[in-house]
Amino acid sequence: MNDKLNQIVQKQQKQIEEPQKKEDDVVQLVGFIIGQEEYAVPILSIQEIIKPIEYTRVPSVPDYILGVFNLRGSVIPLIDLRRKFKMEPSKVSEDTRYIVMKGRDNTAGFVIDRLTEAIRIKGSHIGPPPETIHAEKGLVYGIGMRDDSILTILKVEQLLKRDF
Amino acid sequence: MEDIQEILEDFLVEAFELIEQIDQNLVELEANPDDLELLNSIFRVAHTIKGSSSFLNFDVLTHLTHHMEDVLNKARHGELKLKNHVMDVVLESIDLMKALLHAIRDNGNDTSIGLDITDICTRLDAISSGEDGNTAPAVTSEKPKAEVAPVIEDDNKDYSKLSDQEVEDEIERLLKMRKEEDKKRRESSGVAKPVTPTPAPVAPTTASLSQDDDDDDDGEDKKSSARPSAPRADASAANTPAKKEAASAMEQTIRVEVKRLDHLMNLIGELVLGKNRLLKIYDDVEERYEGEKFLEELNQVVSSISLVTTDLQIAVMKTRMLPIAKVFNKFPRMVRDLSRELGKQIELEISGEETELDKSIVEEIGDPLVHIIRNSCDHGIENGKARLLKGKSEVGLIQLKAYNEGNHIVIEITDDGNGLDPDILRSKAIEKGMISEREADGMSDKEAFALIFKPSLSTAKVVTNVSGRGVGMDVVKTNIEKLNGIIDVDSELGRGTVIKLKIPLTLAIIQALLVGAQEEYYAIPLASVLETVRIPLDEIYTIEGKNVLRLRDEVLSLVRLSDIFGVKQVYEGAEHTYVVVIGLAESKLGVVVDTLVGQEEIVIKSLGDYLQGIEGIAGATIRGDGRVTLIIDVAALMNLAKGITVDIRASSETAVKTKTQPSDYVVLAVDDSAMDRNIMKKSMEPIGVKVIEASNGQEALNMLKSAEYSIDAVLIDIEMPRMDGYTLAGEIRKYSKYKNLPLIAVTSRTSKSDRLRGVESGMSEYITKPYSPEYLESVVRKNIKL
Repeated sequence: MNDKLNQIVQKQQKQIEEPQKKEDDVVQLVGFIIGQEEYAVPILSIQEIIKPIEYTRVPSVPDYILGVFNLRGSVIPLIDLRRKFKMEPSKVSEDTRYIVMKGRDNTAGFVIDRLTEAIRIKGSHIGPPPETIHAEKGLVYGIGMRDDSILTILKVEQLLKRDF
Repeated sequence: MEDIQEILEDFLVEAFELIEQIDQNLVELEANPDDLELLNSIFRVAHTIKGSSSFLNFDVLTHLTHHMEDVLNKARHGELKLKNHVMDVVLESIDLMKALLHAIRDNGNDTSIGLDITDICTRLDAISSGEDGNTAPAVTSEKPKAEVAPVIEDDNKDYSKLSDQEVEDEIERLLKMRKEEDKKRRESSGVAKPVTPTPAPVAPTTASLSQDDDDDDDGEDKKSSARPSAPRADASAANTPAKKEAASAMEQTIRVEVKRLDHLMNLIGELVLGKNRLLKIYDDVEERYEGEKFLEELNQVVSSISLVTTDLQIAVMKTRMLPIAKVFNKFPRMVRDLSRELGKQIELEISGEETELDKSIVEEIGDPLVHIIRNSCDHGIENGKARLLKGKSEVGLIQLKAYNEGNHIVIEITDDGNGLDPDILRSKAIEKGMISEREADGMSDKEAFALIFKPSLSTAKVVTNVSGRGVGMDVVKTNIEKLNGIIDVDSELGRGTVIKLKIPLTLAIIQALLVGAQEEYYAIPLASVLETVRIPLDEIYTIEGKNVLRLRDEVLSLVRLSDIFGVKQVYEGAEHTYVVVIGLAESKLGVVVDTLVGQEEIVIKSLGDYLQGIEGIAGATIRGDGRVTLIIDVAALMNLAKGITVDIRASSETAVKTKTQPSDYVVLAVDDSAMDRNIMKKSMEPIGVKVIEASNGQEALNMLKSAEYSIDAVLIDIEMPRMDGYTLAGEIRKYSKYKNLPLIAVTSRTSKSDRLRGVESGMSEYITKPYSPEYLESVVRKNIKL
C-alpha cells in the first residue's frame, strides 16, 4: 500500500517538474529599446502595453520613479527605465510606450523608448549575465544570443522590487 | 474532514462570542450575586462550550469547563455563595479557557501549548465541594426550587437534579419563544418563519448524559454541539430590558465573511469613482450645451444615480458597522482586576456602547482605550484614603462614553482622579531634554497636557506592573493617528481628567479637501481640517527661522505644501495666500497652499507595495477626471514640516526669471496649414520674438506641458485635426500657470457665436482671417507687452 502511494507521489512530482523543463527550452520574450540597447522581458510577466497617459508625480522618491497613473481604476507606479539605467532622460515620442509588468506582489508601468517584437529564443541561447555589466546589480537575468544581435533579458521580479 | 473543519470554525466563532459575554456577565454578577438570570446564562455558556469541545475532542478544554460548570451549577442552585475569592478563581479559569480557545484557533488543538489546568481544577473542586458547608446556610430565599436541597448530596444525584432544573428552564424558554413566534406569525403571515432552535429540547438530556458518561456515542454529541444557538439568544437577552428581548430574539441574521464585505466595499468604491466622474462630465456637458433638452434628462439620470450610489455606500458601510460594545465589554473585567490589584475602589460607568463604528476601527480602537483606562486607574484615581482626605467619595469613578458627532464618533474617558499637573509635565519634559526651557515657558496648559503622548515621558513616580513605563500613551497617539483621529486632553488638577478621542466613522471612503500647490493637487482628509483662511502674505512672520501666523489669539506655525513635497515652482504667488489649518491628535499646523479646489468624497486606494510608506502620503485616489490625486498623511506631514525652514515671504517675492529683450520671448503658432504658420511667422518678424510651431492642438498642448520653452503667447487656429482650437484653449486654461497666458485665436470663423465660444473657452483675443500683418503684430505686441 505504502509503496504504491509512493509511486504515485513520485509520478506526480515528475509531472510537475517536467513541463517546466520543456518550457525552459523555448523562452518567449518581448523586446524593446531603451537608449541604444535592446532589452527583453518574458512575455508572461507583461500585463499589457499602453500608450503614454498622464501621471501624477509622487514626492520624495528617486528620480526614476516618475509617479503614479490610473490604469482602469488601479493606481500603478510609473518607472522610467532610462533613468533607472542612468541614461539621459528622453522626450516622449510617438513610439514611447508604458509596459505594465506584473510580478508576484507588485505591478508597475515602465517607460520604454520603442517596442521591437515578440521573440522566441532557445534556452540554450541564453548566457549568464557578464559580471560587471550593469550598475544595477541583479537586474539582468541573462544575455540572449540571436543571429544578428544580442539582447539583455531583464529579471522582472527584480525590476518590481523596491530599492530605495 | 471538511465538515469537521467547518464545525470547528463555527465552534470558535461562537465560543469567542460567548466568552465575551461571560466576562461582562461575571463582573455584573459580582455586583448582584443574587441575579439568577445572570448566573443561568453564565452557566449555559460554560455548558455549551463544554458540550461542543467534548464533541470535537478537546479534552483539556472539556475538563476545565466541566469543573467550572460544577462550581457554577452549585452557585445556581444556591448551594454556594459567589464571594470575591470564588469569583477570582472562576475568572481565572475563564482566562485559561480563553487561552485554550486561542490555542485551538492557532494550532487546531488544545494540548500543544501545554497549559496545566490541574491546579485550577483542584481549586475549582475545592470550592464546589469543600466550602459548600459554609455557604449552604447562607442561601437566601429567592430561589424556590434549588434551596430545598440544602445538604450536599452525592454527585450523581446532583446531576440528575440539574437536568430537572434545566428541563424546566428549557420548557419555559421554549414556551415563551413559541408564544412570540405565534404572535409574529399572526402579525405577518407571509414572513418567513424564524429559525427555531429545534435541537434545544435535547440539550438537557445530552447534558446529563455527557456528564454521566463521557463516552457518549456520536449521535448524542452532535446534538449537543448543534445546540448553542439557543442559550446564546438567551444570554444576550439577559441583560437587555424585557421589551428589547422580544425584538432581538426575532431579528434574523446571517453570518457573512468579512472578506466578502470588503470586496463589496471595494466595488462600491469603484462605483463612487464612477459617480464622481459622471458628475464631472455632466458639468462639462452642461456648459457646452446649455439650454438643450436632453440636458434635463441627463441631469435626472445623473442625480438619481448619484443619490442611489450614496445610499448604497451608506448601506454597505452599515453592514460593516459593529457596536462599540464589542470593545467596551472587556473593560468592566479589566477595571475590576486592576482595582483589586492596585487596592483601590474603582467603578466603571459605560454609556453609549450601542454606538456603531466600522469593523476595522473597532479593531484598532481597543488598544488605545486599554492604555488610557489603565492610566486612569493607576495614575488618575487616588487610593481610598487620599480620596476621602480630598473630600471625594471613596470609590473612584471612570466614565467611558461613546457618541456620534457628525461624521465622527467621539469616545470620552473621564476620571475623577488626581488630574494632570501641567507644571510637572513641563519640568519632566525639560529634564528629559524633549523641550527647551523657553519652549516650556511659552506652552499653554493644554499644550503641556499633550506632552503625555511623547514617548518615554511618564509622570508616575514608580513604575508598576500596570503602567508608568511611558510607552502606553505613545501607543494611543500612534493608533489614533493611524485612524486619522484627533485627541483632546483636558484636566483639572485634583479634579480629574477628560480624554476625548474623535475618530472618523469609516476608513475606506472619506471626505477630503482638495488643494493645489502650484500645478499639483493633493487631498487632505477633511477630518483633520480645522479651518481654512485667506491671508495677505505680509501677515506671515518669521520667528527663529520658522514661519508663523497670528490667527485670532493663537500663534500657528506655517509651512508651504510645495516646500514639503518639493513641488516645482512654475508661477509666482499672489499677494494673498490660502492657509489650511490642520489638526491631528493634539497638534496643529497651518499649511500654505496656492488654491483651494473644494470638498470631495474620495475613495482611498493604496499606492501598492512598491511605493508604500512614502513619508507624507497616505494613499491615492482617482478623481472625476481620471487623474490620480495623492492623499496627504496628516501625521507624517506634521513631522516633515518640522524640518522645513523656507522663508515664505522672502521666497514668494523673488520673481521667476525675467525676460529682458524681445528674443527672450517665445510665441507658439498653432495651425494645421504650414502656409498659415509662415504668414504668422512673417508678421511677427518685426518684433524679433522667437516663434515655434505646432500643427495641431494635441501637439501644442504637449509642447506646453513639457515646459521645454517658456511660452509667452499662443496663436491658435480654430479648425485643426486631432484637437481643435477651442478645446486646446480650454485645456491650457486648466493649468494654473497658464491662467494669464495670452491665447490669440486666428481664424476665418467670423460669426458672433464663434467669437462667443472663443471667449468661453478662454481665448484672450480674436483675430479673423484674412488679417494684415501689422494688425497681428500689434496684437501680439500688446499681449506680451513689448
